[in-house]
Amino acid sequence: MNKMVEIKDFSIRLGNFELKNINLDIFDNEIFAVLGKTGSGKTVLLESVAGFYRRFSGNVNIQGKSVVDVPLEKRKIGFVYQDFGLFPHMTVSDNIGYGLKIQKLDKQKREKKVAEMAEILSIGHVLNQYPGTLSGGERQRTALARALVLDPKMLLMDEPFSALDPATKQSMYKQIETIHQIFGCTILFVTHDFNEAQIMADRIGIMVNGELRGIRKSVNLFESCQDEEINNFLWGNSRGVKNAV
Amino acid sequence: MITAVFVVGFTAVLILTIIVKGFPYLGETFFSEEVQFSIRMSLYTASISTCICLFLGVPTAYALTKTSFPFKKICQIIIELPLSMPYLVLGLSLLLIFSSDFGKALKEMGIRVVFDKNGIILAQTVVNLPYVVRFVRNAFEEVDERLEFISGSLGASKWERFITITLPLSKNAIISTIILTWSRGLGEFGATLMLVGATRMKTETLTTSVYLNLATGDTGAAMASATIILIISFTSLFITNWLGRKNDPKSRMKDVTLR
Repeated sequence: MNKMVEIKDFSIRLGNFELKNINLDIFDNEIFAVLGKTGSGKTVLLESVAGFYRRFSGNVNIQGKSVVDVPLEKRKIGFVYQDFGLFPHMTVSDNIGYGLKIQKLDKQKREKKVAEMAEILSIGHVLNQYPGTLSGGERQRTALARALVLDPKMLLMDEPFSALDPATKQSMYKQIETIHQIFGCTILFVTHDFNEAQIMADRIGIMVNGELRGIRKSVNLFESCQDEEINNFLWGNSRGVKNAV
Repeated sequence: MITAVFVVGFTAVLILTIIVKGFPYLGETFFSEEVQFSIRMSLYTASISTCICLFLGVPTAYALTKTSFPFKKICQIIIELPLSMPYLVLGLSLLLIFSSDFGKALKEMGIRVVFDKNGIILAQTVVNLPYVVRFVRNAFEEVDERLEFISGSLGASKWERFITITLPLSKNAIISTIILTWSRGLGEFGATLMLVGATRMKTETLTTSVYLNLATGDTGAAMASATIILIISFTSLFITNWLGRKNDPKSRMKDVTLR
């Protein structure tokens, strides 16, 4: 399998926080979850893959190229933040069509693509509304639509479902699965929800105190290991979930 | 609460004094050739200097917030140093520069600064530019850089990110800055006096008119000019507040607060 992301000996310091010696390969078309407590460094790892930071040691390559050597606008990465990061001064339609407008796609084709994407994500009824008037689920779908309409090679999501109610979460899991099948992009997302990681991901990386301590297939998430901190993280918080699984 | 009442009361007394003393003379003074000249001169110079301040201030504020370069902090201190300097001293500095050989060379090229309306524009620009840089810098800093990052990840170049995200999200703050800069330009006096002096019907702005009329004992005319300044200031402040209320950036941004 081809490697989509290759992280080698990656370390970064941000104030008092440090990500230490991360090594990780993510393959084409894979769904990979980074699981960890709040403050473990999940989001920093995700942002590092997107090339948000320029000062670090080691390498982060996407499709064989160092992410910081490729200009941001040419990285072909879709990014969905925890709070969705919708442009507040644009309607849902303009948010989704933003990247297409930048590509100078003519208005008719742009509107057609936006409508298609809105239909896939069931947000056709809010296209003329501003983000401030949307529900959490609608915002989340808008952010996904905006990222996916450009057919990115890779979709990065930062705790994308944490603000949603359980019912909306369940429907979003299914929608992401469908999107993955339709678009065939590699997905890397971070979460602190074991259940979510197991349902959605092929493999799961476990972050503890700024270190990627273990990588497992999602079906083997709860296997015990020699690392006491991983065991504490998994077993100390998730007996109910484990039993359910 | 008592302190607030005192401050409001004191400010109201100051404003009322100008209105009560100036209003009776407003009718006859407003249409005098001299006051008409000073109104035109004030509006013209304040408008031009505001445009120059924006033209120079917005890119400077952008450079200070969105880019990194060596000695950035020192540059920021130098740019903002005039904020804490008396305007009279700034005016003196301008006078020394433009009375030197450099100023004389400019004069020979047809660009007059000392004792000319160009000097008024320059003085207003020098006094207001640090304010514009600071206000616009604050506005740019309030725009979440993650929105700009997302915009970049969607294919926008740095310029497109600025035009489509940074600038629209700073729009209200920039409009307020324009209005405040313009009204500050209108009220500028210290630096202007040092650089162009106070010559009737030549370098006479509204504030100069107040000064000249007071100096010659014509208190009524001075207060009438002061009332005109007050009316213009009140109008610009009203517009600024109205714009602020019409589209409050905080309510606009509440749904995109990222972490």
